[in-house]
Amino acid sequence: MLADQYFLIAHEDRTGRSRLHPRATGLGLGAALIGELILEGRVGIADGDLIILDRHPPADALAHDILDLLVAQSRHRDVRTWLAFLSQDSAARVGERLMRLGAVEPVTRRRMLSTQTLYMPNSAEQRNAAAWAPARLANLLVRGIEMSVSDRLLVGLIAATGLTRHVLYDFEMHRHAFQALPNAVDSLPSDLRELVEYTEASVGSVLTAGRR
Amino acid sequence: MVRKDEAGPDIVGQALAKNRLGVPSVVFFGVAGAAPLTVIIGAISAIYAIIGSTAVPIAYLVVAGILSMFTVGFVAMSRHIVNSGAFYSYISHGLGRVTGVGAAFVALPAYSLMQVGLFGLFGSAASGILAEFGLKVPWYGCAIAAWAIVAVLGLLWVDLSGRVLAILLVAEITIVLIYDLVMVGHPADHHVSFSTFNPAPLLTPVVGSLLVLAIAGFVGFEATVVLSEEAKDPKRTIARATHWAVLLAGLLCSLSAWAMSVATGPDRIASVAAAHRTDLVFFLVSPHLPTALVDIGYLLFLTSVFAALLAFHAAVARYQFALGREGVLPAAWGRTHPRTGAPLLGSLTQSLLALGVLSAYAVAHAEPLVYVFAWLTTIGGLGVLILMWAASAAVFAFFTRARRGETVWRAYIAPTLSFLLLSVVLTATVLGFGDLLQVPKNSPFQWLIPVLYVVVAGIGVTWALIMRAARPEVYLAIGRGADGRVGAIPDNPITKALHADPVGARGYPY
Repeated sequence: MLADQYFLIAHEDRTGRSRLHPRATGLGLGAALIGELILEGRVGIADGDLIILDRHPPADALAHDILDLLVAQSRHRDVRTWLAFLSQDSAARVGERLMRLGAVEPVTRRRMLSTQTLYMPNSAEQRNAAAWAPARLANLLVRGIEMSVSDRLLVGLIAATGLTRHVLYDFEMHRHAFQALPNAVDSLPSDLRELVEYTEASVGSVLTAGRR
Repeated sequence: MVRKDEAGPDIVGQALAKNRLGVPSVVFFGVAGAAPLTVIIGAISAIYAIIGSTAVPIAYLVVAGILSMFTVGFVAMSRHIVNSGAFYSYISHGLGRVTGVGAAFVALPAYSLMQVGLFGLFGSAASGILAEFGLKVPWYGCAIAAWAIVAVLGLLWVDLSGRVLAILLVAEITIVLIYDLVMVGHPADHHVSFSTFNPAPLLTPVVGSLLVLAIAGFVGFEATVVLSEEAKDPKRTIARATHWAVLLAGLLCSLSAWAMSVATGPDRIASVAAAHRTDLVFFLVSPHLPTALVDIGYLLFLTSVFAALLAFHAAVARYQFALGREGVLPAAWGRTHPRTGAPLLGSLTQSLLALGVLSAYAVAHAEPLVYVFAWLTTIGGLGVLILMWAASAAVFAFFTRARRGETVWRAYIAPTLSFLLLSVVLTATVLGFGDLLQVPKNSPFQWLIPVLYVVVAGIGVTWALIMRAARPEVYLAIGRGADGRVGAIPDNPITKALHADPVGARGYPY
């Protein structure tokens, strides 16, 4: 799913660390989770507000959980509020989902005063699968293959949070892909495009404030 | 949008609030740039020495009053604009984008010079302290050491964390209060005089220089609005914290300036200050205090200057980052380090500039306290004063178009008053600026600095006009800072183009 792909691209496969500022990764994952609900037709975005379109629970447990929360907390509609809220634990929750799929394993690290659970690919097979995530995207972009809405949203979130250079790391080889990027996002439906823009804005203000 | 009519716990609100800043953290953030000990030991003694006026305590109170007035409208406006990172975004929202870019071009050198000036203070203070231990290190050596650390921390984007900053500030404030008590407790001629609070000297021509130097001691309080999205209650936390930051700095500086004058006697403060410079306070309190407390004071003074250096470095880098993201500066400035979020190019630019200026001073063998610290912070202070003045006009213009639910006091009266007062201060400052730098009557520095500011503002305005003609889609987004394009004329297809490169960078790198 969308957030799974984003998670695998946004984390180093050997250390499990976030490639971006942790808060930027959190926002990207939060946006991906909202994006999944939009793609399933459960919610929409209009003028910066989240709108619930369909209360039927999605098949995925995490998506179900988030939709329930959206329904219960209807006093908050602002996309940026929800992005900020979801970003707080999105890495752990998407990590758990990937663990259930068998794509990653939990690794507990002792730090100075606390312990931290990272979700990272551990076997050769899992690593291959994780490395495939950015490679697949680069491949699609370079060859100009028609992309699904979900992939185009993924591209948008990658660009909005600052992971483009990681996916398209070779200027010469990926030159065409860079030119294809704006197009991929422009052709998104309007609520997904708005989602990408709010994500970019949130990442910007988080980085400006410079707090962990 | 928040709907209050709903039952049940506000899970989202509570979860968000847990991780957000309360009033004290925001106050500490705001005061960090104008660290009280830096201002009290570095600036106040310099003002006494340079201007020779005794009206310093009242000047700080007056400035605190003017800035509080300014804060009312400023904070009210910050609630209504998306990006509230810096003065220039207020100005472009209130007075138009062309003026806004002009203001941005004034802001860059202003903040940047203030930071470089602080290196002079740090260098001269540190080399003085090392000399006590028998180590002869030139000020330049100490300044470069501090420069290297700031440059590295800036690239790693290590802002002193809120807790470290809070502990330092509380310690600083405590030591300042102890010193003040000691100074007032041992008055010259056994007589505590309040004559330095007499406002009469403020009606003489010296007022301009006095007030601009005092304003320089507050710079940084406006940074609190950067945190508006990080605050528990964006509406109230920031407003309260900003007022607190202004009042705290104002009262503390005023009190200390008065205490110094009491300890020397108001008639002798200028000559004693001229003789002892940054050692003034320590000289006054050391006969009455155990050496340990004086040594702690020296140490805290250094850490406080260092914290201010770091805060200003971050502020300049942040400014360039916001401008780069908006496309006013080349897109490269809007790029951040992927993992740390550090605005790399902005940080590097400021470091290199500081190195260049410091080296030039070292080669010229200029005296660090006068020509680096006093000159550069005064020149920077003038730039910030220009920005504040323009921002107060912007607040007024912004609310003239629509009151947006603010009270009449916040929307009209306070902004008008602060604009008028700042206009007076600015006029007086510009007229007396040559005297402020203590240059001879025929020196070009008598008029050069304000003219240079007009020139950079002019360059900014020209640049904005070029942008409007050549890249209208980028021009439209000016004033939105790090927020990028959200809300920038929604249905314009050009503005929708998503840029491939790192966060918010505009256009492609080749």
